[in-house]
Amino acid sequence: MGDSAASLARRGPTIDVDFALIGHQESWRAAADVLAVVRGPDRMPLPDDEIKDILPWIPPRVVCHVDVGSITDAKVRGIYIDSFIPPDRLEAAYVHENIARVRGAAACAIKAGAKIVSLGGFSSILIEGNFDQLPERHDTVFTTGNTLTVAFIVQGIKKMCALENRNLRRSTLLIVGATGDVGSGCARCLAPIVRRVLLSARNVERLRRLAAELQAEGVQVEIATDLQRFSAEADVVICAASLASPSLLLGRIAPHALVCDAGYPKNLSPRAEMLGATVFFGGLGQITGGMRFTPDFHGILNRHPFPDVVHGCLLEGMALALDGRFEPFSQGRGSISRERVEEMETIAARHGMHLAPLYNADGPVEDETSLPDGMVEGSVFPVMEKRPWAQM
Amino acid sequence: MEPLFDVNCSPMECTSLSGSAPIWQDILAQAMTGEVLAAMNYTSLSEIGDDPAEVADALEHSECEQGHAAAFAAEGRKIGVEVCNNVDGKHWKRLRDAFLRCIAERDFIGCLIVQEIMLESFAVASYSRVGKVGPGSLGETFARIAAEEGEHVDHAMSILRAERARDAQRFDDKVCRLHLDVMTTLAQMLAKDCKDGHCEVCHASCVKPSLFEVSLSAAELRGASLQQYLKTLDMLGIPGEVTLAWVTQLPV
Repeated sequence: MGDSAASLARRGPTIDVDFALIGHQESWRAAADVLAVVRGPDRMPLPDDEIKDILPWIPPRVVCHVDVGSITDAKVRGIYIDSFIPPDRLEAAYVHENIARVRGAAACAIKAGAKIVSLGGFSSILIEGNFDQLPERHDTVFTTGNTLTVAFIVQGIKKMCALENRNLRRSTLLIVGATGDVGSGCARCLAPIVRRVLLSARNVERLRRLAAELQAEGVQVEIATDLQRFSAEADVVICAASLASPSLLLGRIAPHALVCDAGYPKNLSPRAEMLGATVFFGGLGQITGGMRFTPDFHGILNRHPFPDVVHGCLLEGMALALDGRFEPFSQGRGSISRERVEEMETIAARHGMHLAPLYNADGPVEDETSLPDGMVEGSVFPVMEKRPWAQM
Repeated sequence: MEPLFDVNCSPMECTSLSGSAPIWQDILAQAMTGEVLAAMNYTSLSEIGDDPAEVADALEHSECEQGHAAAFAAEGRKIGVEVCNNVDGKHWKRLRDAFLRCIAERDFIGCLIVQEIMLESFAVASYSRVGKVGPGSLGETFARIAAEEGEHVDHAMSILRAERARDAQRFDDKVCRLHLDVMTTLAQMLAKDCKDGHCEVCHASCVKPSLFEVSLSAAELRGASLQQYLKTLDMLGIPGEVTLAWVTQLPV
């Protein structure tokens, strides 16, 4: 266990904060684990019913400090701020309450003097079209982090195709949630290198605009608001919809399809029948230069079966901080271009931030021979006491 | 203590609230006890003050809290119940004892932390919630008193911020020590179920399981109180990760 929260308080006012990460927990299990660490190892975890009663009342606040290293030996310090959006209140009905929570978290970041702030998970979705709703900024800039998320999704698709000897150029790509910032960014990056693109989203006008943009580049595109129309035709699927819980049923998915679940919370319902499809979680990167939480939230805030793995949206702020580029790299909705993705990939790579090893709810999906550090040969799980990803 | 229905109450109010009157009676009794205790605390505070202005302030606050207690008693009469208070009820007595320890140490700042940060956070948050659901003038009285208590907190904040600016670590350590004492008792009071017997303020059995009948719940009152407390500590500048740990370590 790292430093205690009390000792952090003594450090707090003197620490320069380069970056802040704003996040929330996607399940009650994850929220319970966070509160268990906050309570300390000597106390029994709070009962589940008490957590559900107490958490919605907690105002946004700093939960821990984060130190990140680059392969260039640069180091940056940051804070993780939880907005404490209750996992069962991610629906549209709570949008105003949740925006208020993200605003509160943003105010914490500004008060701490963070130079750049990454908006994780739903925080990004809530704010990407509402940047004007953030508190008045002084020396603090905000990025949704979506550009690096797109980069890691695209890299993951390419890697899986290479691992499974699939020819991406002959593939039909389906993007669910295509008109969102991440979905449209993926479309722009992958459309030129696949045979055909199917775009699915709820807003038909936005679908038409994106389709027209891609068609102007000679891409074969079809759109539908009814996902079931497309699901059987695609052999590569990216799920990037803004869903409050894992509830997506892809319907008649093609056998042997490749499915990237890039949602936070996850998109795919545990009940989704995937037949012979290969599913992996997308949009995740790994920090080669190491990451340290104080107090120690390792495996709690980053619930992945590999060390130092973080969602791309949060990594973007860290990468920009390591690069000394305190600028709002990703803002707005639907403006992520191939060029910007390449630029962000270059920045991230310069500091040793790469695509994370691919995994899904059952564990790693890559071949045993390519097991990264931290994994035991012959085992599908890394040497870690906890397997939090299995409970998500 | 049995509810005493006043023959002089408005027949319409008595009829409309007859079912929930015993619940309001207990809510009013808890609030009135808190106000009487606050009045006693301010009177005690006036006795250790060196600055005549501080003494006058404390006495004025004491008078104000007595007025609040009288207002709650009057609301009880309007719905035909007698509102009793019991500052010797086990939780309230522990809170008073904690305050008196600060008085014994002539710790003016400690007194403000206990009364204005801890007890008033609880009062402002819970009165506000009751004010939203309370019928007629009863609800209005809770809302009005919540606003007035909020003004008390604002007054103390400037003193406490200035004190923290002098030595943040010493100040935070003091708040932590008082938190463990006072907020542990408040958390036991605010727990969803009274696990350690009767509170000695409710007139019969514990009112908490009945709160849903007046659109309240013990969990909501606790949540709102802890939220107000955390926000007040934020305004003082105590790091959020520290106060989060404090609050999550309280008994449930």
